[in-house]
Amino acid sequence: MVDPEFFHAANLPLVGHSPMSPAIGTSTRRETGREIMGRARARAALIPDLLVEARRVANTVFSGWHGRRKRGVGENFWQFRPYVVGETMARIDWRRSARDNNIYVQDKEWQAAHTIWLWVDESPSMLFKSDLGTVAKQSRAMVLAFAMAELLARSGERTGWMGVSRPLLSRNAAEKLAEHLAVAPVQTEFPAGSDLGNHCDLIIFSDFLDPVETTVSRLAELAKSGVRGHLVHLIDPVEETFPYKGRVEFQDPESGAKIIAGNAETLQQAYSAEFASRSTALRQTTTDLGWSYTKHHTDRLASEALVALHTHLGSSVTGGQ
Amino acid sequence: MFGLAIGFLSPWLLMGLLALPVIWWLLRLTPPRPQEEVFPPAGILEKLIKPEETPAKSPWWLTLLRLMMTALVICAMAGPILNPQESLLEGEGPVLIVIDDGWAAAGNWDERREVALTLAAQAREAGRTVILESTTNSTPWDGRPVSAEEAIKLLEAAQNQPLKPNHKNTATRILTNAIQAKPGHIAWLSDGLSRSDTSNLIAALKTVNTGRSLYLPPANELVIIDAVQNLPAKLRGTLVRGNTNEAREISITGRDLKGVVLARRKIMFENGVSETEFAFDEPVELRNQIARLELDDINNAGAVQLLDESNQRRLVGLISGEKHDQSQPLLSPLYYISKALEPFSDLRRSDDANVAASVPQLLAQGVSAIVLADIGLLPEEAADTLGEWVSKGGMLIRFAGPRLAVSPDRRLLPVDIRPGDRSLGGALSWETPKPVAPFELQSPFSGIDAPREVVVNKQVLALQESDLESKTWATLEDGTPLVTAEQRDHGWIVLFHVSSDARWSNLPLSGTFVEMLRRVVNLSKSTGRPITEREEISLSPLRLLDGKGNFVAPGISVKPLTLSAEHEPTVSLENPPGFYGTEDGFTALNLFTGQTKLALLNPEDLGPGFNRQSYLGESPFDLKPWLLLVAAILLALDCLAVFWMGGALRLRQLHPRSPTPAIIVLLGIGAMLLSTGITHAQENEIDFSAALRTRLAYVITGVKSVDNLSAAGMRGLTYFLSNRTALEPGEPVGLDMSTDELAFYSLIYWPIDPQAAIPDAATMARVDAYMKEGGSILFDTRDQISGVFGGTSASPAALSLRQILSNLDIPPLEPVPSDHVLTKSFFLIDSFPGRFSGGDLWIEASQKSAEQDGRPARAGDGVSSILITSNDFAGAWAVDRNLRPLLPTVPPDPIQRNYAFRGGVNLMMYALTGNYKADQVHLPALLERLGQ
Repeated sequence: MVDPEFFHAANLPLVGHSPMSPAIGTSTRRETGREIMGRARARAALIPDLLVEARRVANTVFSGWHGRRKRGVGENFWQFRPYVVGETMARIDWRRSARDNNIYVQDKEWQAAHTIWLWVDESPSMLFKSDLGTVAKQSRAMVLAFAMAELLARSGERTGWMGVSRPLLSRNAAEKLAEHLAVAPVQTEFPAGSDLGNHCDLIIFSDFLDPVETTVSRLAELAKSGVRGHLVHLIDPVEETFPYKGRVEFQDPESGAKIIAGNAETLQQAYSAEFASRSTALRQTTTDLGWSYTKHHTDRLASEALVALHTHLGSSVTGGQ
Repeated sequence: MFGLAIGFLSPWLLMGLLALPVIWWLLRLTPPRPQEEVFPPAGILEKLIKPEETPAKSPWWLTLLRLMMTALVICAMAGPILNPQESLLEGEGPVLIVIDDGWAAAGNWDERREVALTLAAQAREAGRTVILESTTNSTPWDGRPVSAEEAIKLLEAAQNQPLKPNHKNTATRILTNAIQAKPGHIAWLSDGLSRSDTSNLIAALKTVNTGRSLYLPPANELVIIDAVQNLPAKLRGTLVRGNTNEAREISITGRDLKGVVLARRKIMFENGVSETEFAFDEPVELRNQIARLELDDINNAGAVQLLDESNQRRLVGLISGEKHDQSQPLLSPLYYISKALEPFSDLRRSDDANVAASVPQLLAQGVSAIVLADIGLLPEEAADTLGEWVSKGGMLIRFAGPRLAVSPDRRLLPVDIRPGDRSLGGALSWETPKPVAPFELQSPFSGIDAPREVVVNKQVLALQESDLESKTWATLEDGTPLVTAEQRDHGWIVLFHVSSDARWSNLPLSGTFVEMLRRVVNLSKSTGRPITEREEISLSPLRLLDGKGNFVAPGISVKPLTLSAEHEPTVSLENPPGFYGTEDGFTALNLFTGQTKLALLNPEDLGPGFNRQSYLGESPFDLKPWLLLVAAILLALDCLAVFWMGGALRLRQLHPRSPTPAIIVLLGIGAMLLSTGITHAQENEIDFSAALRTRLAYVITGVKSVDNLSAAGMRGLTYFLSNRTALEPGEPVGLDMSTDELAFYSLIYWPIDPQAAIPDAATMARVDAYMKEGGSILFDTRDQISGVFGGTSASPAALSLRQILSNLDIPPLEPVPSDHVLTKSFFLIDSFPGRFSGGDLWIEASQKSAEQDGRPARAGDGVSSILITSNDFAGAWAVDRNLRPLLPTVPPDPIQRNYAFRGGVNLMMYALTGNYKADQVHLPALLERLGQ
């Protein structure tokens, strides 16, 4: 009914390709947090509140805003229960105790925040946008990341950005992240050796074009520290369908290497098979690690990926209770 | 000359064409530039693509293009020449060029001069001098050898003359001058006609034994007009031609002095006939206006004859029956005739009162017409003289009168008349004075309006005769003749049945009388101005003919034409054919005046020694630059093709921040040039309709997506307003703030986009004036959601707005207070959401006074001239053609969109009605006072 990409619709290029037509794909300019913010908020407004799966939430000194529906540290009243000897006297609720002969302790509802790390691959290959995709991969990844940040902030989770900002617990965490991002160096490599801490979630937005072996080993390393990962694999439609014909010179935007294909259409089958096998390998790895894997094409709506992420992050909350 | 004759300066270079197959093979091997593509997963491809890479083939048409280019260059280098020309000159020494430059050369003068120039050019290359000789001797050429360069200059300036060549004089000059210089080659550029003295020229040319060439026109089409006579019955003349070999149709046209075609005839020359007659039998009125006869499609002075006869002023003799009474001139019978004739004729009065003496006196002066006013009895001698004169072509005009009425002399009258006169409308008559009947078509007076005011009281009556009707030129209303006429041999006798003074009728007082007399006199044959023996008349040139038969202004060499009794004027260089005299009366001088024969020059008659040539239609033409030009064009095409295949010409995706500069600038300039006129016209039209109908207006920012959204938003609000309120706005209009008239719009929506250009100072001055004159502008930064980071810095749109407003005189602002009239102007609302909610709507701060407390609505004075929001109103209002919302609200809430529309209605009502709603709080009090 509604075209959420209205602002981009005006700039939609023509789709179509002949041997002598303009190039299919281009490298776009890097988009920053300010421009993304409005779009991300619009996406986030469409998604219901997200409660990160409580099962994974360990005891933590940080208090969050979300009641975990059990006794613990918090501000909201949970229950009165009889005083057990040994508890500190300070927790006795004298007003309640005065009403009968028992001594009651007021329990608060456990309110704990979960830490979720975000990371968006901003390497040159992410700037690729083809005629078939509506936006560049980097642009879409930023939108998704900010929308997630907005959603998580709304739920009172602590949200951090790898290599950019420590986890923040704030209603306007998304804005703050954007401010940090504006001054942070461009994230082309996953920050190695960073301490994520235990029991946190990590969402990686990338096109995963590095060799599969490298990626798998890096993910395994991360999994050792107990992090639960969520991979969002951004794919430009052209990268999957390979609609090139005739004599084409392909250029790798990262390395700058050029390779000439005399008859590009003959490569199509072999390429598609190779590309699919990489996706399968990634998915297999994540399944093995107990992580989630979301494939997202830039010609689809950003909301689709958001909903998928929402499902992965909050699955047990909705499913478990 | 026939077909394509192509020669090469260096034919051996054509061997290069043999290399074409090799070039073809080489061209086929060069692959075109590959399509360049950015492709992130190129690493995957590296595994797939095998290293060997066979070169792709060029497209066949590109190869063909390049081969053609190569072949053209090789051919061009070989120096191709179309119609290569061999040398025309023989021998050594000066080249004698004799040119017939008379009237007969007009038809192919350019070719003739071209040949002469070619000869001179070849003489220049050979380093020879040139002797030029013209057979009309109309040129400043002195017959001595001149350098070829000078000869070329002289030839370039040469023009053919409307003169007859004089071959005898030419022969003499050649013998005295040119032959002394020992010419090495003689070229005679003949006009193809042989004249009586041509043999002299041939003889002169044969005196030296050199190479001789004779140039003849390809086919002699010369036709001339000769011996034209304008007789009273018809205009006739002879056409003469030289070439009698085939039947030919000639069209002859008669024109007046202004060049208007008056008559045209087609004359047929039968095969073998050299002379044929033509005649124009148009009405004499028309004929007499013909000043120039010419043959269509034949341009020379011989094919034109000029006529002067009709335009000469006639000499008219006046004879009256009574003595001139100088004391009472108005009663003189000749007074009105003189006044009527003076404008177009020369009048001669006889000095002698005696008719018998005055008639020969007038005839001796060569009058064309004689007017006899009321002369009854003619002396015997005079009557005979006049009768003879009339039969030779004289025009006798008689007027009735008391004497004629009673005279028994019936000679020299067109009709027999009753003795006595007929009185109309007198005391003893039943009849009333009669007006003149309309003139018959065959009458010479036809075309003149019958004068209704003219009445005839008295007239002489013609006896009824069988041919009376045919002799009658004009009648009274009752059918009695007023003017009768009879042709006697070549002359005319005309009788006016009324007197020439005002006693019998008031005809002489009317303008019609002048016109009638003019027609009558024009019928008379002009006798020309007689020249007495001692008299010599000098006529200045008026309009002259050039060699092609066109009228030209007289040149400096022309002298006045001298007419004398001794000899006829002849055509010469000083007196070319044409008109001489003044506009009122002139003499025509013609090239041919009769008895002309045209004889063709027969080359066989010349004897041996003349190398016959014809005027070349085609001159050598160097093809080299043209071939190179075509090759260059092909090269340009090749470059374009290569660029295109390499992708350099692709139109890049137009991004607002990084437009392809050259293309944008070019398109922009083109669009501006095209649109300035159009928009101007449209502007007025839009203004006109805007003045008649309320419309929503928005500012065109130049950012396409924003403008589209604004338009859609205005459309949505227009629809909502029409549905819910009494206001039915017209189609929304986008405004260019720098040019469009703003006065017609009460509220203008101005979306702020950081990418849009900031309006210049002049534009902002207009906006300022608009706001001061009572208009309102609704600024919308549309950035409520993308927000301000922690409130520390302004968003780009807000910065942009600040920059725009910095040029405006802005009053203090406040968010809309809850009791402001804006919240009550139509719907009762408390917030103004758009696509986003939460942003405030800012308006001019209103003064809060104590007296206003307690009122349900607060209003400042007038309408706030500025309103600012960040909620993206247009985004919420925007609908597509099916009236479905274009954009979701944030959060997606249908109620919010409804509130947005309500806010829009309130805004519009507020802008249109101002404080009306606020004033309505007084309504109960007013009603109470009225006692309702």
